[in-house]
Order: sequence, then structure tokens, then C-alpha cells
Amino acid sequence: MRPIAITGLGAVSACGLGADRLWRAARDGHSAVGEVLFPRIHRQQVKQMARIADADFATLLETAKPRFQDRTAILGIAAAREAVARAGLGPEDFGERCGVVVGSGLGGAETIEQGYIRFVEDPASRSDVMAIPKLMANSTASWIAMSFKATGPTLCISTACSSATQSIGLAADLIRAGIVDRCLAGGAEALLIDGAFAAWEALHVMTTSHCRPFSRERNGMVLGEGAGVVVLESMEAAEARGATVLAELVGYATNADANDLLRPDPVGATTCIRKAVDSSGLDPSRIGYVNAHGTGTVANDLTETTALRTVFGDAFDGLAVSSTKPIHGHALGAGGALEFIVTVEALRNRIAPPTINFLGVDPKIGFEPVPNVARPFTADAAMSNSFAFGGINASLVVALPGRG
Amino acid sequence: MAEGAEKGEDLRRSLLAIVAEEGMVKDRTIGVDDQLADLGIESADFVMILMAIEEKFGVYVPVDESLTEAKTVGELLDVVVAHIEEHRRQQVAS
Repeated sequence: MRPIAITGLGAVSACGLGADRLWRAARDGHSAVGEVLFPRIHRQQVKQMARIADADFATLLETAKPRFQDRTAILGIAAAREAVARAGLGPEDFGERCGVVVGSGLGGAETIEQGYIRFVEDPASRSDVMAIPKLMANSTASWIAMSFKATGPTLCISTACSSATQSIGLAADLIRAGIVDRCLAGGAEALLIDGAFAAWEALHVMTTSHCRPFSRERNGMVLGEGAGVVVLESMEAAEARGATVLAELVGYATNADANDLLRPDPVGATTCIRKAVDSSGLDPSRIGYVNAHGTGTVANDLTETTALRTVFGDAFDGLAVSSTKPIHGHALGAGGALEFIVTVEALRNRIAPPTINFLGVDPKIGFEPVPNVARPFTADAAMSNSFAFGGINASLVVALPGRG
Repeated sequence: MAEGAEKGEDLRRSLLAIVAEEGMVKDRTIGVDDQLADLGIESADFVMILMAIEEKFGVYVPVDESLTEAKTVGELLDVVVAHIEEHRRQQVAS
């Protein structure tokens, strides 16, 4: 596929405000996971999560409109502002030639929850008149479009953990199709609140100890929250305004298992990864790093390993694979964007961030995913994967400028 | 005996009833040697079973390797009993 320029990155996560905080935490293996207790959960079993520090959120609130914006939108707007500033975009770069594709799994989870609590506790009270515009899943995308007067297509992809990865992929497709010159793309999620967390607990996919992707003794994932937004542009548009190209998006594929709502399917994941590599035109051996979906559940990590081993073949042994989820948490609808940003920085620095909490090789998986400490790699391309509940897979391939 | 305090064979009988009920096994007469796949117990049923166990025994059983390895009803019970016993030991300790 024709390369697309990546010219801006922005992130808000439990690692702090800014893509650089996210990258440094990922590189150094500094986990933002900590204990959070929810007063409304009667018997909270899982206490570990990667929640944005109160002080960081307070900083974001200084320029936010909380009466009109759910926490999700506040995170998304902050990430978009950073990405736009880094890309050096001015008012003349938006308008109808700029699109917005920003996804979310649940949308305004906090607004939904607060609305129901208020309604149940006091049905006679007045509902939050802004509840609907705050909680709708496209609220974040629309706020970003409004913030910059981006009047091209604004879309919100809601495909659970694949939302942001598909958003970035679709944004590249829109640019390649000539529909827009540039896009702000990514995802936002903020559902670390009592009711939503209790619902996640009920699925029994979260660990009560530590998230340790691909490791022996792994027993579940750890949730996170945040937002990631990137600026994508056609190479011509980036060149025309003299932008610095951080990396190029050179491959993308997405597909569906159409099999089981929860259980991942190695056939679907393998096909997706293979198609993404094929679309890049790169031999798999040219890809040096994979930021895995790597949730730390038994099923995902086994499926993903099978898929990677099948597609990369002989090149698999030299491939640096890691999951950075134990550091920033699984941010669901924002996860793919945070991890894409980590992948771009990993490639630019040629450092594969570590999979922390790794205890040792699981004999069923049979490999070490950059265990515990970062390591350098030499290749010019890298990959980021997302595999969602609902059986939706998405993979992105990035390359250093001119190396795709 | 108090609800959720069963031990030994009583505990296994109690768990067996939960597996039959939550796994929506049709005739409800299941034995420890039955294959979970033959009973039609799939990923979503596992979650229902684990939730019911958590409600009754107060123990959180994550979907770990030992659980995904369980092929028969008896193997599933072994994993759950181990979690319940570990949970009770921790409660005594604290």
C-alpha cells in the first residue's frame, strides 16, 4: 500500500500526560498499575488497574468543559491537541480536507453510570440535560473535530479493543482514497468506575495478581484508560507544508473471526497479521518489532503466538515481540492508539520495550517476549496488533521514513 | 452447614450442581468423568459458572492455565476446589 505519513503523536495514559511519558514508561518498564478501590463495589476482587493520576486529570480539567464533556472526551481532546501541536498543524490545515476517526469501546461510561445512579436514587430529580451528548460514543470524535474545525468526515469506530487500531487503519484508507488529505485518528476510553469495573470483573478475565503476558503462570489482564491520537497525512500533503515525517504507515489489515464473541481464533488472527504484512509489501524478515495485543489471558497470548509464528516463519526467532499492557494497562478502545504510539517510538529509537512481570517461558508458547528489560533491534519496520472481543482483528505496520 | 462453607464431598456436590445449573446442562445428571465439550459447556458458560461460584463461596477464580486445561467436569472441580481452599487459608491467615 502507498505509505501514509505519521506526523504527530499525542497520548494521555496512566503513565502521565503526553506521548513521551508513555514511551519512556514503556521503554523503562515503569508500570503505572496500582491499587484502586471502588466504594460502590460490594466485594471487589480485582484491585489492580492503570488509572490516570488525579493530579494529571486535574491539569486537563483546567482547559476542559466538564458540563459538556465526559472524561473520555477530555482525554481524547488532550491527546489530539498534543498530536496537532507536534505535527505543527495550523488553522489552514484543517477544514474539509481533514477528517477525524476516533473510536471508543463504551463511550461516556462515567456519564452513563452517574446518570443511572442519580435516576435510581432519586427518580424525581432532574437528569443531566447534557447526558446524551456527553455519553454518545462519537462525542470524543466530534469534540476533536470542533476543537480544530476539521469539517471532513468524522467517524467513530466502536469495536472494543480494536477500535483505535481500526480507526488508524481506516483513516489511512480515507487518505489513500483521496477523500481527505489528513486525519486525526485514534481512540479514547475511560471506564474505570464502579459499575463498569464490576461488569469487567464478572467476566473473570482480569488477574488478581500481576498481568504477565506470554509468561508462565499468567492468569489475566489488567485494565487501563486513556486516549491516543495520531496525525496521518498523505505524503504529498506532509511534504507540501514541510512537515517532519516521524514514520510511515505502510501496512494495515482487519478481519473478523465470525466465530465466538469471547474466544479468539488463531485462523482469524493469522490471516489478519499476514494480510497486514502483505499490504506493506515488506518481507516479514524486515519487521523487527511487534507490539503484541498480549493481554495476559491464557487464550489471547497462545492464539497470538500461533499466529505470529505462522506468519513470520523462520523470521519469528529473530523477532522482538513485547506486550506493554502491564505498563499502561489494557486501555480497550484507546489501547490500539497507545500501543501504536509506543510502536512508532520503539521504531524511531530502535528499542523494543519489555514485557514486564515475565516469570519464564510457558512451554505451550515456547518463546520469550523481550522479557523484563528493553532491548535494541535493527530493523526498519514494526507492527502493532489488536484482537477484540467480538472476534475483530486489526494489525498495523509502520516503517522508518523512506524505508517502507 | 452454612451456605458456602461446605467441605470435601459436600463441596464437590455443591459445585457439581452449580456446573449443571449455570452450564445449562439439559438433564442435570452430570458426572465427574463427563467431558465439558460433550456437555456443550463453552467460554460463556465458564464465566457464568465462575460468577456463581464467586457469589456462593466469595472466591475469585480467574481463567488461568489450569482452568483452560480442564477437559472434564472432575478436572474443573479440582481447579475450583484448589482456589476455594487457598481462599479459605488466606482468610484464616488474615
